[in-house]
Amino acid sequence: MIWLKSGVLTLLILLSGCATQTSALLHEAPDTLPRRVELSGVPFFPQERYQCGPATLAMALQNSGVAIEPNALVEEVYVPKLEGSLQVEMLAAGRRNGAFTITIPTNLESLLTEVASGNPVVVLQNLGLSWIPRWHYALVVGYDLDQSEIILRSGTTLRLVMSLSTFEHTWERSGYWGMVALPPGQLPKTAQEAPSVAALIAFENGGSAKLARIAYRAALQRWPDNLQLMIGSGNTAAAEGDYLAAANAFQRATKHYPENVPAYNNLAMMLGKLGRYGEARIVAEKAVALGGPWHDAAMETLRSIEAVQH
Amino acid sequence: MKRFLKSSFIMFLISALTCIGLTQSAQAVMIGTGEAGATAPSGRAHISALLERPDVQAQLENLGISKTDAQARVAALSDAEVAAVDNKIGSLPAGGDGIIGALVLIFVILLITDILGFTKVFPFTHPIQR
Repeated sequence: MIWLKSGVLTLLILLSGCATQTSALLHEAPDTLPRRVELSGVPFFPQERYQCGPATLAMALQNSGVAIEPNALVEEVYVPKLEGSLQVEMLAAGRRNGAFTITIPTNLESLLTEVASGNPVVVLQNLGLSWIPRWHYALVVGYDLDQSEIILRSGTTLRLVMSLSTFEHTWERSGYWGMVALPPGQLPKTAQEAPSVAALIAFENGGSAKLARIAYRAALQRWPDNLQLMIGSGNTAAAEGDYLAAANAFQRATKHYPENVPAYNNLAMMLGKLGRYGEARIVAEKAVALGGPWHDAAMETLRSIEAVQH
Repeated sequence: MKRFLKSSFIMFLISALTCIGLTQSAQAVMIGTGEAGATAPSGRAHISALLERPDVQAQLENLGISKTDAQARVAALSDAEVAAVDNKIGSLPAGGDGIIGALVLIFVILLITDILGFTKVFPFTHPIQR
């Protein structure tokens, strides 16, 4: 079996050409990137048959402070007939269990940057060839640029040391798919605005309003002018019953984005909840006037305010 | 060959699917965060209603996914993901309602992952067998 595997790997390297990101990184690693990192404290769950998805996700979740065992994740991410786990469900299951999950930018430098920042990264590898795929999830917990090695929790191996260029080949075939699971309120070091906002909204939809509110607050500190972050912080505050904080968030959104109907609509709803019907009505009328695809929703809001007012 | 058959089957499913019209109830609601940045409302209610259908749920269970799991999985999709799926359903040719849930279901599951661009083939994993 061993000779077969190394034979396949050799063939892979021959077929795929050189590992370009690896050689670039080894030649000119950014000064900010430490030469060697290993997150030894990351827990390890050896996988059961086929179940690298739940095992890998459980390691990442536990590291983010969510106490969960792989078996508890099997139902959430494992599709029995497929004998595997979908990437989108790995992300979703993390959210549902209270961790903020997000994919990282698809390159080796981002991967190593996250590990150096203390965030182990769940990666999808294709250990086979593109036409004989052997998909596998593993957790990157360290690397050594001088040795050109990467360290993974993989399968039944606590500390799999793999050549960085071999890893790049296996990772490339999944489109460089990698995700981190973080405590709400933290963002990946490599986070970019648009993907982060999308991941935060998914986190709000799939998790608790309380945790999402914490996550929005942190993200607003990094991107203070983002409309959806303002709306999200308002919506999560409202879901928690904090109508005043919600109204303030929507107010801020209407100031920054005076054409945004959802901001006015939701502000009117909150003013209504606070019993400030006069103001609520004016804001709702503004929402109706701006209309667009939201006209009907705004109209319902206005009607509900009028109904209470009379 | 197997994959070719599978993708042909999916193409068949997609073309065989019907457009199911569902109306949203009229009441004053907060507009969701994801929708606030979009130019039009997303089809979350539409998709959720689709997954409420007992025939769809029965088929999900055939795949080894329980009813509650299935709903939770869809609930956890982002608005962009939902909108993408809903657009696809909305653009299908209308027809009778005699299509069985299996088609709808497989369509939805595969489409979600496909549209997201996570992979072009079936984006599930087959870990190493030792």
